[in-house]
Amino acid sequence: MSDVKAIAPPPLEGLRRAFVLAEDRIGHYPEFRRFFSTTFDLDRDGLKQPGYVAAPSGTCYALVFIGRSGEPFPAGVEIHALVPALEPLNENTVDRDLWAILKWMVAGVGGDWTVRDVEETGRLYRVPAAM
Amino acid sequence: MTEPSLPGAVRVQWPYRPRFARVNGWRMHYVDEGTGDPVVLLHGNPTWGFLYRDFVGPLTRTGHRVIIPDMIGFGLSEKPMRDDAHSLDGHIANLTALLRGLDLTRITLVCHDWGGPTGLGFALSNLTRVRALMLMSTWAWPLPPAEFHTRLFPWRMMHAPLVGPYLMGRHNVLVTRGIYLSVVDRARFRERAQAAYEAVLPDPASRLLTWTWPRWIPLDKDARAVERFAWLEQQLAACTLPALLVWGREDDVFDPTTFAARFKQLLPHAEGPHLVTGRHFLQEDSGPEIAALIVDFLKRLAQTEARA
Repeated sequence: MSDVKAIAPPPLEGLRRAFVLAEDRIGHYPEFRRFFSTTFDLDRDGLKQPGYVAAPSGTCYALVFIGRSGEPFPAGVEIHALVPALEPLNENTVDRDLWAILKWMVAGVGGDWTVRDVEETGRLYRVPAAM
Repeated sequence: MTEPSLPGAVRVQWPYRPRFARVNGWRMHYVDEGTGDPVVLLHGNPTWGFLYRDFVGPLTRTGHRVIIPDMIGFGLSEKPMRDDAHSLDGHIANLTALLRGLDLTRITLVCHDWGGPTGLGFALSNLTRVRALMLMSTWAWPLPPAEFHTRLFPWRMMHAPLVGPYLMGRHNVLVTRGIYLSVVDRARFRERAQAAYEAVLPDPASRLLTWTWPRWIPLDKDARAVERFAWLEQQLAACTLPALLVWGREDDVFDPTTFAARFKQLLPHAEGPHLVTGRHFLQEDSGPEIAALIVDFLKRLAQTEARA
């Protein structure tokens, strides 16, 4: 059971979108593009609005999808933390939230891609959030 | 980044004057030491010229000009921030611009990892400028990939969408752990070299090529670079340039039984493969020994040329 959930657009008053991670080639493995397309109904909604997720810390994140001419949509994605407008990020919190979002993504992609493998990869490379 | 940004312990091991050239629209760093026929040493992912620190002295002392470029995206060269800035053809063009700009001829190309496809791409399209080839822990054909590169854990997971930018960008794992896991003497590597590789990729955005290159390794016939790799293989099979193969005995990325053997099949006249202590980053474990093999190879090549 993932502790990350796709959510409806949250209220944005008093918040800013803080860029934290980008992926230029979400379709490098096409099943990842399909996951986002299905989860956020992108074939219907396209660029109308970001996808939103709530992460374990309680922070919400906006997934801003990117199109590129000649490529299936979405071509890429940026992840932005929704944080109090004038406050600095807590990097450790963001890092653990991102790790949870990655595991949620991999679980959703499914097939050969397993949460166990992403956790083992994180441990092999000694990523703090995975230890 | 310029040389003074390097830690003092790194500069001691890498005292060479930094030089820069505009190549194919980018700023490329290289060192250029000694005089004589040029030996161009090419690194791959995620290293830089420092990988060849043990080669400069032996080669320059024996009458060679040593040129070591940092691939665009690595080392002290410019680091583009967009994925589309990188392609195999583009990197071959970057190298071609440097070596033509220096108007080098009688080049011996020393190729490791992605320095193989890029260096061979230059060599096989500029044959009149090239004297000899030296290959180690690399490949030059479309399929099949190395078994290591087909594994989901850890290789494909490490550069999967979003996972790549997180692990290799935010956490720099290919540099902080990847090289370390791919040498034999890990304690020595950590003591003498680890800082040099970390220093030149200080920020997540500077590390883009560390997860972009893995995505250029063909895993099936629909991969982006399949046609270029097929061309490399075809041209290499017709290549008669003198060649030397050196491989790490413990190489578990491009294992010698498969990869050195296939190069030997493509280049049956090549010397070797000579096996030395080393995993994928064999220069870290056997730098002086490999340099001596190149010096000896070039000495014998000069004698052969003189007789001819």
